[in-house]
Amino acid sequence: MLAESLKGVRPRWPGRIVRAAGGVRLDRSCIFIVPSRVGLAFGVALLLMLLAAINYRNNLAYVLTFLLGSVFMVGVLHTYRNLAGLRLQAGAPAALFAGGQARFPIRLDSDGRARQALALGWSSGDLQLHDLPAEGSASVELSLPAPRRGWLPAPRLRVESRFPLGLMVAWSWIDPGQRALVYPQPLAGDLPLSAGAQEAAEDEGRQACGEGVDDYQGLRAYRPGDSKRRLDWKAYSRGRGLLVKDFAALEGSEFCLDFSALAGDGESRLSLLCHWVLDLSERQRPFVLQLPGQRLGPNSGEAHREACLRALALYGEAS
Amino acid sequence: MRARLESCLQSIDRVLLGKELQVRLALTCLLARGHLLLEDLPGMGKTTLSHALARVLGLGFQRIQFTADLLPGDILGTSVFDKESAQFVFHPGPIFCELILADEINRATPKSQSALLEAMEEGQVTIEGATRPLPSPFFVIATQNPVTQGGTFALPESQLDRFLMRLSLGYPARAAEKALLLAGSGRQRLPELEPVLDHAALAAIQAEIPRVRVSDALVDYVLRLVEATRSQPQFAWGLSPRGSLALLAAARAWAYLAGRDYVIPEDVQAVLPAVAGHRLRERADPAGQGGGTLVQWLLREVAAV
Amino acid sequence: MTTAKSGAALQPIPRVGLTWLLVAQLLVVLPHLGHLPLWIVGLWLGCAAWHIQIFRMRAPYPNGWIKAGLMLGTGFGVYLSRGGLIGLEAGVVLLIAAFILKLVEMRSRRDALVVIFLGFFALATAGLFEDGILAALYYLLPLAALLAALIGLQQSALAADPWATLRLAGSLLLQAAPLMLLLFLFFPRIEPLWSLPGPRERGVTGLSDSMTPGDIAELGQSGALAFRASFEGPLPERSRLYWRALTLEHFDGRRWSQVPEAAQVEPPLWEKRGAPLAYSIVMQPSNRPWLYSLDVAEGGPDDARLLADFRLQQRRPVTRPQLYRLTSWPDAQREPEGSVPALQRALQLPERGNPQSRAWAAELRRRHPEPEALVQALLGHFGREAFHYTLKPPRLGRDSVDEFLFATRRGFCEHFSSAMTFVLRAAGIPARVVTGYQGGEFNPAGNYLLVHQFDAHAWVEYWQPPRGWTTVDPTFQVAPERIERGLQQALGEEQGFLEEAPLSLARYRSIDWLNRLRLSWDNLNYGWQRWVLGYQGEQQMQVLRSWFGKADLRLLGLTAVAAVAATLLLVALWLFKPWRREGDAQQRLFQRFEKLLARHGLYRAPGEGPRAFAERAAQRLPDHAGAIRTFVELFEAQRYGGQQGAPGELGRALRQLRRALPWRSGEE
Repeated sequence: MLAESLKGVRPRWPGRIVRAAGGVRLDRSCIFIVPSRVGLAFGVALLLMLLAAINYRNNLAYVLTFLLGSVFMVGVLHTYRNLAGLRLQAGAPAALFAGGQARFPIRLDSDGRARQALALGWSSGDLQLHDLPAEGSASVELSLPAPRRGWLPAPRLRVESRFPLGLMVAWSWIDPGQRALVYPQPLAGDLPLSAGAQEAAEDEGRQACGEGVDDYQGLRAYRPGDSKRRLDWKAYSRGRGLLVKDFAALEGSEFCLDFSALAGDGESRLSLLCHWVLDLSERQRPFVLQLPGQRLGPNSGEAHREACLRALALYGEAS
Repeated sequence: MRARLESCLQSIDRVLLGKELQVRLALTCLLARGHLLLEDLPGMGKTTLSHALARVLGLGFQRIQFTADLLPGDILGTSVFDKESAQFVFHPGPIFCELILADEINRATPKSQSALLEAMEEGQVTIEGATRPLPSPFFVIATQNPVTQGGTFALPESQLDRFLMRLSLGYPARAAEKALLLAGSGRQRLPELEPVLDHAALAAIQAEIPRVRVSDALVDYVLRLVEATRSQPQFAWGLSPRGSLALLAAARAWAYLAGRDYVIPEDVQAVLPAVAGHRLRERADPAGQGGGTLVQWLLREVAAV
Repeated sequence: MTTAKSGAALQPIPRVGLTWLLVAQLLVVLPHLGHLPLWIVGLWLGCAAWHIQIFRMRAPYPNGWIKAGLMLGTGFGVYLSRGGLIGLEAGVVLLIAAFILKLVEMRSRRDALVVIFLGFFALATAGLFEDGILAALYYLLPLAALLAALIGLQQSALAADPWATLRLAGSLLLQAAPLMLLLFLFFPRIEPLWSLPGPRERGVTGLSDSMTPGDIAELGQSGALAFRASFEGPLPERSRLYWRALTLEHFDGRRWSQVPEAAQVEPPLWEKRGAPLAYSIVMQPSNRPWLYSLDVAEGGPDDARLLADFRLQQRRPVTRPQLYRLTSWPDAQREPEGSVPALQRALQLPERGNPQSRAWAAELRRRHPEPEALVQALLGHFGREAFHYTLKPPRLGRDSVDEFLFATRRGFCEHFSSAMTFVLRAAGIPARVVTGYQGGEFNPAGNYLLVHQFDAHAWVEYWQPPRGWTTVDPTFQVAPERIERGLQQALGEEQGFLEEAPLSLARYRSIDWLNRLRLSWDNLNYGWQRWVLGYQGEQQMQVLRSWFGKADLRLLGLTAVAAVAATLLLVALWLFKPWRREGDAQQRLFQRFEKLLARHGLYRAPGEGPRAFAERAAQRLPDHAGAIRTFVELFEAQRYGGQQGAPGELGRALRQLRRALPWRSGEE
C-alpha cells in the first residue's frame, strides 16, 4: 500500500520517547494525495461527459467537462492545502488500567489558514473529524483499547483530509511515538499477609503509638474514615475546619505485598497486588511492595502508589 | 553602568564562594523588580547573600525573623499613644526598608505571611486606614526551609506566584567549602564590602530593563513554553499569564546583565528554572515541591528556534 | 479501508448539502423544460415535496414496490410522450426522470453523490439543446449549486453554512476557469467515435426541398436568422450575393422538386475563372443536410461535397449552428460541355397543363431563335408589363403558370422564377429553378452579413453552349430594389414588413438605437458561435496554426501540458501565498545552517538555543569557529535584536561558512 512509505517522518519521530513538544509539521514530504473513490467515480462521469461532447460535437459539453476537470485539479491543491502546514503535537497519555481505553492526546495547531474536516484516527476506518480555525488549535483524544498491562505504544496515526469536494483524499501517517502505561487490571481477592504484619491488620485496634514530635507530619484536611482520635480539636475551635494530625508511617504496621507469597499465575498475582495497592492507598495505609528483584516502600501516599503501580505494570518487561 | 554591575557581582562572589549562578540570578531578580524566595536548609548562606546584596547595592537592610508568634504588626508597625502630643504616633515596622530579609517565612502563621506578601505585591502598606508607601526600591528576600521540616506553614501556590524567582543555594562545591573552611565564614568579611551602586544608579538600571528588546520570534518561544505547560499532561497546571510576564521580565534583566539590549532564547532558558520551578507541579506528584524535572523537560523539548 | 469508505458514504446527508441539491436540481431541470414533457415538472415538484417531508420526518422513504412502480410509470410515460426509449430525446427525458426520482430514495451521502453526478450529466445534455451565450452563462448557476452541494456533503463547520459553501464553490470555479480555457483551446476535437443523432430542432423555419407558389412568400414573413457570413476581403455587391441552397429540376405543374439523380456521386465539371471569394458561414440549424454557398463553391466541412446540380450538401443534417469555410468562383464556367442526362432533366415538363404559356413559348422561340435573345425578351417582358412584386400573391389554381403570366400578374420571386423556367423549358432551353437566399443585412459592428429567412429567394439558371449554366433573376426586372437594397425596401410602405412577427427585432430596423443594439447583440452571438461553439476541427487547427506557426501535434501537446502546469502553479501560488512566510527567511537560513552542521554529526536538540548550539559546534569544529559564531551572531542580531542588516547579509554569512566547511567531516 502506498501509505506504507513513511519517509520523512521517521527521523523526526523517534519512537522511543514522546517528542511531543517539538511536534511535526505536515509538508510535502509526508503528505500523500490520490483521488478517493468518489473522485474515481467523478472521473468516470467526466469521461462519459467527454464522450458525449465528442460524439455530439458540442463545445458547451466540452466546456462543462473541462471546467469540472479543472475543478478537480484545483481541488487537489485545496485538499493538499487543507493538510499542509498543519502541526501535530503528541501529548503524553495518562496511565490506565488494563481493559480500559487508553487516551492519546494529540494537539493540532493550524497556521494562518483555517482547516476543515480534518480526520484523525489509527486507521482509515475509524476517524474523528475536527475543524480548526486560522491560527487556532484543538486538542484531540484518540482512544485505543488496552487489553494487557505494560507499555501500550500508540500505533501510527493517520491524518486525513477530503475537503472541500471529497474527490481527493490527502493523508499522512505519523508515528506519534506515544506510549501509555497500562497498569494490571485490579482483581479483588484475599491477600495472604506476610508474617509480622498480621497484628496490625484491623483498623480499630490500631494504636496511635509513637505520637512523638518526630513523627508528626503536620495537619491535613479531614477525610471520612479518619480516626477521631487524631482530629485537631484546637484548630477546629479556632474555626480552621476539621484537621487531622498526620503522622509518619509507623514502623512495623505496614502491609507487605509480596509477589512471591502469592499463588497463581503471574498475571493474576499482579492483578491481585494491583488491587491491594489501590485499596491500601485508598485507606492511606503504608505498605511495602515486594517484587522479585525490587522492593518499594515502606511508604504511603500518591507518589508511592504511582511507583508501585508502575512497577506492577512493567514487571517482567524490559522498559 | 554594566561594568559597575559586574563589579557588584564580583564583590558578592568574594563573600559567597562558588555560587556565581545563584548570585547572578538574585541580582537579575532584583533588577527585574521581583522578589526572591530562597529555599534551603539553614546555614547555606541565605543571610550572607541578602546582606551582601544590600551592602553592595547601597540599600538599607532589615531582617525579620519569622516565628510562629510573629504578628502582622511586628512586620508593618503599630501606632503607639504618645502622652506628650496626646495622640497616636505611628511607629513603622521593619518593612519600611529597602531590602528585607524575611527569614524562615514558613514558620510564621499564614496571617503574618500574608501581611508581608500583600505589602510586596502592592508596594504600600495600609495600617489603620492610612496608606503608607514603601521605599523604592523595595526588595524582599524570603527564605524558607524545605517543607519536610515540622511545624511550618508552607506557602500556598497563590503566594508562591508573587515571588519572581525561587532559588536554592545548595551545598557548596568542595573547593569552595575548603576555601570557606580555610579563610573563615564569608559573613565575617561582610563589613569589608563597599557599596558599588547608589539609589539613583539602581533606579536608572531598573528603568532601562523594560526597554530591552523582545522580538516576535522570542515571544513565540515564550508562548511555546507556556503552551507546553498548559497542554502537556504531565503538568498539573500550566503557567499563568503572570508567570509568562515574570519569565519575560527576568529574561530581560538577565540579557541586560549579560550586556545585550535584546533577549535571546538562552536568556529565557537561563532564568526558566528559577522563574518557573515554583510555579509548576507534576501531575503525578501534586504534593511535591517542584517542577525541577518539568523545567528540564521544557528546556529539552520545546523548540527554541 | 472498504468498511471505512462505505461507512462514510452511508452517513446521512447534511442539511446544507440537501438544500443545495434541491436548488441545483431546480436549476438543472429549468433549461430542459423546453423539450421535456410537462408531466416531468409535476414529477419534480412531487418528488421534491416528498423529500422535504422525509427530511422533516413526516413521510417515510418509499419502499421497494413504490420505487419500482415509479420507475415503471416513468419509463412508460417517456415511451408514450417520446415514442420510444432510444434516441437522444427520450434518453434525456429518462436521464432527467432518473435525476428526479433518485431524489426521493436519496438516503445517504452515496445517493446524494449519484444525484450530483447525474446533475452534471443532465447539465451537459442541456448544452446539446441550448447553447447560446445567455444559456451558457446560466449553466454556471446550476454548476455552482451542484458543486456547493458536493461541498455541503462534507462534515465541517464551513460546509454547514450555505453561503460559505457557495462562495467556496464559486472560488473553485474561478480558479478552475483559466485551466478550462487552456483545455478548451488545446484539447484535440476528434471525430465522433460513433454517430449519434443530435437533438431535432422542432419548428425550424427555412427552405424546404420543394417549392410551390407561396412557399417563399411565407418565409418572407419570418425574421429568423438563416446564417451569417464573413468575407475575407471586401464585401461583394449585394446583387452578386445569390446564396444557393437547392436546385429544383422537376416540375409537376405546380410543385418544383429535386430529382434523385442530381445527388449522384460524380461531381459536375466546372472551370475556375475570375477572382475567388473566400468567406466563412455560420449556419443556424436547418435540420437539412444542404449548405448555403455562392456559386461555385469549394471547401466546406470534410463530409460535404458538390452535387451534380452545384448544390453543396453534407452527410448529416445541420442540427446545431455550424461553421464552415468556402471559396467561391462567381465567374466560373459551369458545365460548358453539358451532360446529356442533366440537360434532359432540365427540359422536363409535365405532359399537360399551362397551354397558354406553352403557346407563348413557342411563339417566342419563333421570334427569337437565339436562346440569348429569347432570355432577354422574356426578361424584358417581365420588366415592361404590369407585373407586381408582392408578399401576398393571390392563390393560383391548376394551371399556375398560365394564371400568373396572363391573369393575376402579382407574385413573389417563386412565381417569377417558376414562370420563367417553365417558359424557357417550353421554348427548348434547358433551365431550372434555384432556391436560396439573396443579399443579407450588413452588420457594421462585426463586419459580417446577416441573412434572415425573409431573404429567401428563388431564381433561374439556364444552359447554353458554350457558356454552360447562366444565372438569371426575373425578380430583378420587376423589383430591382429587392436585389439592390432588400425586401423591406422592395415592399415599400404599403405592405407591412414582418407584420406577422411583431416581436422580431429586425422589424424595427428604422429605430436607430434599437437597431444598433440588435446588431451589437447579434455580433456577440456571432462571435460566440464562431469562436466558441464553432471552435471545432478546422477552426481549431486554424487558430492554433496562427499562434504556433504550424500545428505540429507534438509541439501542441507539449505546449498544452506546459501551459496547464504553469497555470496550476499560478493557482497554487495564489492558494499557498508563500510570500506570506517571507518573515521566516531567517528561520529558513537557520535550518540550512543546521543541515550544514548535521553533515558533520552536529544535531541541535529541539530545546537548544542557537547560541548554545553554535558554541557546541565551535568546539567541535574549532577551525570554523569564527564563521559559525559570525553566522549565529548575525542571526541573533536580526532575529532577536531586530536589526535590519543588509539584505542577504545572513545568507552571505551562511555561504561563507558553507564554502569553508568541507562537504563532510573527514576525520570521522
